This record gives sequence, C-alpha cells and structure tokens, in this order.
Amino acid sequence: MFSSFISHLSKKFSRSASADKETATAIFLGILVVVVVGYSLAFGFALESIITSALKQSKPIDFLNGLMIYYFASEFLMRYFLQSLPVMDVQPYLHLPVAKSKIVHFLLGRSLLNVMNTFVFLLFTPFALTAIANVYGAGQAWIWLVSLWLVSLINHWLIVLFKKKFDDNIWGLLVLVMIVGTLAASDYFGWFQLSTLSQKLFNISLHGYTSIVALVISQVGLYMLAYLFFSKSLYTEDLLANENQNYYEANLAFLKNFGSVGEWISIELKLILRHKRGRTVLVMNLFFLLYGLFFYRDPSFSQNLPGIVILIGILMTGIFVMNYGQFLFSWQGSHFDFILTQPVSLVKYIESKYWLMAAVTCACFLLSIPYVYFGWSMLLVHLAAALFNMGINIFIVMNMAMWDPKKIDLSKGSALNYEGIGAAQWLMGLPVMLAPFVFYLPFSLAGHPMAGLAAVGTAGLLGILFRRKLIQVTAKRLEKRRYVIASNFRKE
Amino acid sequence: MITIADLKKVYKKVNVVDVQSLVIAEGESFGLVGNNGAGKTTLFRMVLDLIPPTAGEVQINGVNVKGTDEWKFFVGSYLDENFLIDYLTPDEYFAFVGKLHKYSAEDLNQLLARFEDLFNGEITGKKKYIRDLSKGNLKKVGIAAAFIGQPKVVVLDEPFENLDPTSQIRLKELIVREHREKRTTFLISSHDLNHVTETCSRIVVMEKGLVIKDLAGDENALKTLETYFNR
Repeated sequence: MFSSFISHLSKKFSRSASADKETATAIFLGILVVVVVGYSLAFGFALESIITSALKQSKPIDFLNGLMIYYFASEFLMRYFLQSLPVMDVQPYLHLPVAKSKIVHFLLGRSLLNVMNTFVFLLFTPFALTAIANVYGAGQAWIWLVSLWLVSLINHWLIVLFKKKFDDNIWGLLVLVMIVGTLAASDYFGWFQLSTLSQKLFNISLHGYTSIVALVISQVGLYMLAYLFFSKSLYTEDLLANENQNYYEANLAFLKNFGSVGEWISIELKLILRHKRGRTVLVMNLFFLLYGLFFYRDPSFSQNLPGIVILIGILMTGIFVMNYGQFLFSWQGSHFDFILTQPVSLVKYIESKYWLMAAVTCACFLLSIPYVYFGWSMLLVHLAAALFNMGINIFIVMNMAMWDPKKIDLSKGSALNYEGIGAAQWLMGLPVMLAPFVFYLPFSLAGHPMAGLAAVGTAGLLGILFRRKLIQVTAKRLEKRRYVIASNFRKE
Repeated sequence: MITIADLKKVYKKVNVVDVQSLVIAEGESFGLVGNNGAGKTTLFRMVLDLIPPTAGEVQINGVNVKGTDEWKFFVGSYLDENFLIDYLTPDEYFAFVGKLHKYSAEDLNQLLARFEDLFNGEITGKKKYIRDLSKGNLKKVGIAAAFIGQPKVVVLDEPFENLDPTSQIRLKELIVREHREKRTTFLISSHDLNHVTETCSRIVVMEKGLVIKDLAGDENALKTLETYFNR
C-alpha cells in the first residue's frame, strides 16, 4: 500500500501541470536550493571560527548551546511559513478500501520529507566533528548532533499540530512571536537568563546519552499525539475547514460613497480577505514594515548610504504594490470572463485598482512614521518613496501585470508558492526598485543627495497629479490586451 | 443493508440533514431527488463517512460507518471529482483501485469490458491524465471505478449530469442490468425525474434536510413527482 502511495506521490510531481511549462521556475528554485544549502554548509564550517575569532568567545561550546534556544525558536517561525501538511492529497483515498490508519501514517511519515529537517546537520555537523569531538570525543559529538536533530523534529511535530489547530489564524502566530519576543527581551534586560537555561539544557547532550533517550521518548509521544489528532479528523470537512470557518465581513460602508470604483474596491478587499493567499500578502506586508529595523539600528549605515535607504523605503511602503500588483489580474483569473461580460468601464476598473494600492501604500507610510526615532531624514525618505510608489510604481506594476498573466489558486498560501509566476513576475521587482534611482542618481552623483530625494518625491507627486491621464492610458492598454489575458486564464 | 437512524447534520444552526429513520434494503435501487440544498449530497457524504454526523448514525450491514473501514470493501462510490486522483491516467487509476480490491489484471479487464459502450473508446488506452478529460468523461471514470470490487452497494451522486444523451441512455441500461443481474443495492441522486423513475425501485424526496416523500418507483411515481415539484 505504502509503495502505491509513494508511486502516486512521485507521479504527482513529475506530472504536475506546471512541471514542464515552468521549467524556468524549476531551475530558479533548484539554484535557490543549491545556494541555500551551500551557504548553510559554509556557515557550518565557519561557525567555530566565527564564535572564537569574530565574537571573541572563550568557550565556544557553551556559547553555542546558550544560543540554541533562539535557533530553535526561529526555526519554529521559519517552519510556520515554509512547512505544510498536504492533507488534501489524501481525499481521493478516503472512500476506497484503505485503512484510515495507513493513510494517517503515510501522511505523517511523508511530512518528514522536508528540507527543514536536514538544516541541523548542514549547520552543525562541522562544529560537532571539530570543536565538540576535540573536547568530548567523536561519539559524544554525534550524540550532541543527533540530539539537536531530534529537537528539530520536535519542532516539526509541534508545527504539524499547531498548524492543524491554528492554520491560517494569524493570532496564534502573533501570540507565539510575542512569547518569544518577551523571553528574548527579558534575557536582554537581564530579568531572566534564557541563554543560561538553554546552555544547561543543551549541555545535557554533552554528557552520556540521557538526552537521546528523553528526546526519542518525546518524539514517539508527539507522533502518537499527531496520529490521534489526524485519525480523528480525517474528514473532508476538516480538510477543507479553514476556508469555510473564517468568514471575513469586509463590508466597508464608506466605500459605497465612491460609486463603481468603491464597489470594485470592496469586491477586491473581499477577495483578499477571504482567500489564504490574499491574507498572506497582507501579513507579508506587515512583516516588511519591520524591514527597516534590520538596517536603521546602525546609524552609520544610513549616513553613508542614503541611496540604500530609498530602496528600503520603496520596499517598505510598496511591498503590497509589488506583491499584490504582480498578480493584479491573476487574482480575478477565475472570473475574468465574468468581468469582461459585465457592463464595466475599464477605466473605473483600473481606477479602483489604483486607489486600492495607493491607499495601502499610504497606510504603510503612516505605519512607518515611528522610524522617525532614527532621525527626521528617515521620515523624508519614506515620504518620497511613498509618493514615488503612488505616482509612478503603481502604473509600472499595472502595465507589467498585463504581460502574460497566469491563473492562480487563491486557496493556497503564497510563501514558496510559484503558481501564476511568469517571466514578467520575476522581472517586475527590478524596474520598481530601480526607477527612483533614475531621478535620484543624477543629483546625488553631483553631490546633492537631498535634491535627489526631492526629485524622487516630485516625480511621484507629478504622477499622482496626472493620474487620470495615466489611468486612461493603462485602461486603453488593458482593452487591447484583454483577449490575450482572458484566454490565458482559461488555460489550466 | 443500510440503516440510517436519527441522522442529523447541523451547519451554523441550520439542519442540513435531519433524517429520523431510513432503511434501504439489500437489492433495492434507491433514488434520491430534491431541489438544490435539500441535503442529498450531505446525506451521501455521511453514508460514506466523509463527514461526521452531528447526531445519529449510519449503519451498513449492522456496522456504524463512522471510523470503520470494513464497509469500504463492498461499497463503491462516486460523488464528485475529489474522488479521482487527477494526475493519473484512467488506466492507472483503475489499476490502483483494482489493486485495493485485490483484482488481477484479468478481473479488471472483464469489469472494464462491461463499460466499453459507456466509455465509447475515449477513456481507456489513452495517454491522457484524468485532469485533462472533459466533465462527462471524468464522470465515466468515477462511475466505472465505483463498480470495481464487486460492490454490494453503489453510491452515485448525479451520475447523469454532464453526460451526453447517448451516454445517459447507456448508463441507465448499465445500472438496470447490474441491479437485475447482481442484485446490487444502488443509491442514486438525480435532478432528472425521468431517469430516476426509470432506474429506481424506490424514490425518496428530500427537502431542507427532511424526508418528504417515500414512493415506489412505478409509473405513478413520475406523475406524483412532477406534481410535487411543479409549484
């Protein structure tokens, strides 16, 4: 039986509708995997010298074990976005004479086939075999490494259970982030030494094999828990549950005052809120707002490289324009024929899309105001970037989205989902990120970065002022392209 | 054969299915009619343990279907496209279902031979995945797979929908023949009153989850049904 499941699994991949069509995407993903694995391995080999030389720690093993709890916390977060349990795949077997227990065992066993489960080995094998083996011996080094792997697998099962319970419920994740954040902050401010605890826990695996025994037992326990959980809820309505349970009201009454443009926006908001992929785009948007924190903490960074700050500003205020806009028409791919057969003015249709993206850009700018903490210049850069996004980039994106769009399945999340991505979508990021520099660089190279910034903002402002004309031009293009777009969407 | 007792399914405080007692005897061919939203598919899904009932139970051969697997060996079913593994070819799908029922290649060929007319040369022996078939051909694949394993019970939801007229007639003949020769118990839902009266020995009308009428499938049935639905 399991052999049949496995053969179906391999057929599913080799015969996937997108497999032969989107070789470019496959190659890109392949390269990405090689790069990530390569970097992880390189990091693993460099780990010991990073700790001893760069961070100047005299006890590298204790130091690393002290950080482990943070590593596994962030691994948990990564898994939340990257790991999924393809429960829908089992639907065709439910009515056939296959024992449910077998289906569940297969489902759970299959979930272990995940790159995430090999990262511990990539990152820590070199450290184990050199630093730890030198002090504690090779056998103990392996026990340490396998213990880490088992902890990582505990994360794996926790995610399986967590996602089953809270799939697509962003509050579950936020609570988790808050817990981790509080713990990290308490550690930082010295109320509570999380790293000491982590050190104590992970040092256990350096003495004897108790850690392995305990971890294997918890592994079995978690597997049984997951097994019980899934064998009880292997019903189609549970499998399909998350889309039906969440009803998002999304009736914004004030939009009614804006006529047909308002109607379209409210339809589109429903589309975003009522589909997993749309909601993922919104959440990504919020995460990107934190992007600046990575860079701005270092004051020399922004002083030395004001140009880079423009890029960050464009990304922070415009990630929705890029993420949502690249599929501007694909979102409605399943009912594009409907739109074309309705008495709709394409100008109004484009206008609604413009205002939706402009409003989100505006909101992102308002949310980014706290960055003023890092200096007033930040606020100015963000303002110029937001204006540029609203006046120029939205139109670039709208026009590029008409180039060979593909249909997408709205019910799937968007992290690592390459459905609907064609050449245009890969390339779309480039002009959006480079366009402001067309206005900025001439001035900054002449030694007037502030004038360059003003030029970026002015260009955006001009775009906003002449938006009617730009919307009309865009709508005219859509009118010409609509048959190509519609026939693209009719293809599977 | 099938005993339904106090079966209820409640979605958001609405009784989608509320069947107090329904007994389907062995060898009966049972037709289910009712307007959209009557609860036909939900009832079938509970019979097949695809959704758990809010209350009550369905027994097949005296065993509650919920959480058990034995009944699957003698109940064949096709409700919708989710029953198909769409990245297989029809031949591969049949072979897989056949294997689950411990069919030899010869057994399977014999079974599929009975569907030759219905398939009309468009299903087997083609290098085409199920997902690339037309709606009507998808249906034929699902229906044929439901007959694998010498089922004592066959559950079909809207089997005539999407089929061309010739295929509808052939399918009708096939169901009548299987019922007569093998005494297979059929559970069929349909919106076509003619088809249902021609194929079924008993017809039940559902409305808003309740069983409204329970008729014998004779000439009078069609008239009664037409009067009932013409309002």
